[in-house]
Amino acid sequence: PCRAQPKKKKKVDVKKEQAQKDRMKKKIRKLEKAAPEMIPIEDFITPLKYSDSNRVRSLPPLSFEESERRVLLMKKWCLFKQKQDEAEKKAIQSLVEAQQEALKELRLESEELYQAAIRRDEGLFPFERDGPNYTPPIPGYDPPEGKCVDITKVYTQ
Amino acid sequence: TAAAPRPWRLFGAMCLLRLPRITQPLEKEEEEMAALMGQIELEKSHYSDHEIRKLEEEEQLRRRKESTYDDDEAPGKTVIMAQDLEDKWEQKLLRFKAAPRITDADKNNNRTSLNRKLDSNLMLLVKQKIGNQELWLLPQVEWQPGETLRSTAERAMATFLGDHIQAKILGNAPYGIYKYKFPRAIRTEDNVGAKVFFFKAFLQSSDLSQTELKEDYLWVTKDELGDYLKSEYLKKVNRFLLD
Repeated sequence: PCRAQPKKKKKVDVKKEQAQKDRMKKKIRKLEKAAPEMIPIEDFITPLKYSDSNRVRSLPPLSFEESERRVLLMKKWCLFKQKQDEAEKKAIQSLVEAQQEALKELRLESEELYQAAIRRDEGLFPFERDGPNYTPPIPGYDPPEGKCVDITKVYTQ
Repeated sequence: TAAAPRPWRLFGAMCLLRLPRITQPLEKEEEEMAALMGQIELEKSHYSDHEIRKLEEEEQLRRRKESTYDDDEAPGKTVIMAQDLEDKWEQKLLRFKAAPRITDADKNNNRTSLNRKLDSNLMLLVKQKIGNQELWLLPQVEWQPGETLRSTAERAMATFLGDHIQAKILGNAPYGIYKYKFPRAIRTEDNVGAKVFFFKAFLQSSDLSQTELKEDYLWVTKDELGDYLKSEYLKKVNRFLLD
């Protein structure tokens, strides 16, 4: 009398659990088959609050002289940059030529030194250097205390 | 068979550069262009939150002046206006004093100091005795068999600046060469002249107080090299110096 009922309960539970597990596995397989979602690039999505019309700047339109001045300045800049680029290329060319001449003379001297000279220098790269600032560092300067909290969103695929 | 002894003596010289610490001043065209770019950027931009807050507060002030009505905010509450914030930031900026770009060494033209001409490369020149003449040269030392030319140049640097110098040598290959023949009095079959190979290095440590320089030394820029070096030597050295 008491024995039969508990047994039935267990069997039905086991079957139900099995059916649940199979359903979950099917769902997981479906999700995995679907193509992975692209990670959104936050820089390319403008937040909606910046497309309000009251944000647009109201400035007087450019005068004719101003636009002329701008065009002429652009042309002068173009020429300036071209000359700068040519000078740089010439300097690099002269550098390379000087080095080639030095290596040629070295080869005439001794083959062994030449081979040692053209070997790759492993310790040279990666080469790191702090770039120049606008003002030199103040000796004995105590920068104010502060903490930076990084709030960039990290997406996982 | 042993190789015949070459008639040229080999020297390794090191061109030690102190890289610039501050940016060079902008040319006229660069300044004009920078101003124009700033203007165009301003024209193409939208108002930021700070600017909108400022505009709204100006509106409020104007309305309060024209029609005297009490706003919701009681006069007891002090509201920080955007304009006040801007003034506060301006004051804070004015209180900060940056280090001067033209240092004392510049004003005194003290050529032995490293703090001079912070916006250009400085090179080390040492007074050396060649033959019976005292000349200003890049530090050089004679090559000894069994070492590479790069180690000769490193030894030259160590002889004049001590072992604790931190410099990044740019590669194993020489950057330039200066060849000269000895005057006829000293020239022999085996000893025609000398070849000086130049190597380049960047000075890493900015503090040279530990080094004891025994001979006269100078730190000069590329333009000032002409005051000290002989013309032929200068020509060869200028080929591998960028400025």
